[in-house]
Amino acid sequence: MREICIPISNFGEDEIAEVTLSVGYRKISYSFRIESFPWDLEGTKPEEYDDDRYHASIEQIMNLRKALTEYDKSWELVQIFTPCKGATHIQVLYRKRN
Amino acid sequence: MMNNNGFMLKTNDLVKVFRTEEVETTALNKVNLEVKEGEFVAIMGPSGCGKSTLLNIIGLLDNPSSGEFFFNGLEVSRFKERQRTNLRKSNIGFVFQSFNLIDELTVYENVELPLLYMNVPSSERKKKVEVVLERMNISHRKKHFPQQLSGGQQQRVAIARAVVANPKLILADEPTGNLDSANGEEVMGLLTELNNEGTTIIIVTHSPSDAEKAHRIVQLFDGHIVTENQKKIL
Repeated sequence: MREICIPISNFGEDEIAEVTLSVGYRKISYSFRIESFPWDLEGTKPEEYDDDRYHASIEQIMNLRKALTEYDKSWELVQIFTPCKGATHIQVLYRKRN
Repeated sequence: MMNNNGFMLKTNDLVKVFRTEEVETTALNKVNLEVKEGEFVAIMGPSGCGKSTLLNIIGLLDNPSSGEFFFNGLEVSRFKERQRTNLRKSNIGFVFQSFNLIDELTVYENVELPLLYMNVPSSERKKKVEVVLERMNISHRKKHFPQQLSGGQQQRVAIARAVVANPKLILADEPTGNLDSANGEEVMGLLTELNNEGTTIIIVTHSPSDAEKAHRIVQLFDGHIVTENQKKIL
């Protein structure tokens, strides 16, 4: 088994989830954070959807790239989530570096 | 034109647009990626972000709409199908999520296929196939057909087929996507082992734990590379 999925209800956008895992006699601690970056940028073309694909504007991509580049280096990016239609923020999962 | 600057692969402003009569979709938008020989790179991102499109272009299965693509120093973005095939069969091995084995051929025949395309003599083919089947721990199933094997065994056969011609580069599109965790771990272990022996590996994956095995993780979002995370120094 390589992954454990832990559903956490009402997990706030800027909250940190700390997970301590015991494997045999070893205890491993992980810290995860869901970060939210602004997505409905003023003055930018809104994102578009077609049947099965999402299209971000170039401004949104540039903004996301900048946010990821400037983010606290003690956290590493795990996953970027596709924003829902009309979302005001884009969410990104980070894990604390050991 | 030769211009590799130490990179096995290099793309400059790679764009791929798919057009139908009604819709134009930009799958890749000015992608700049460099991969060194011996590197292990994971490409991640949400569904539909362009991961497989990028892998198909890197694997010379498709051409970009614009931009440059250097493979071993050779600019190949405008290569014709036959040129791409020649370059591909001697340099690149593929592993797919759904294995893509030929159901009508035995395990042995599936693995032998790339060598047949390369006109490798019969005795040499036999030796190479036996060695790789042994290595993938599947030689006891060489007379079986793919449908008689488990998913994990089928993927081991697919890896055997990918490596039998000793390619410099292995491209794997969601290689553990159809496997349970134990078989997935085994497949990732085999890819890591091949990388340790010098083969360059690029995988597309949704799995953070698979990506952990890579030296570098490239995050794609809506056709753009938005960030790269160097995990290990080569």
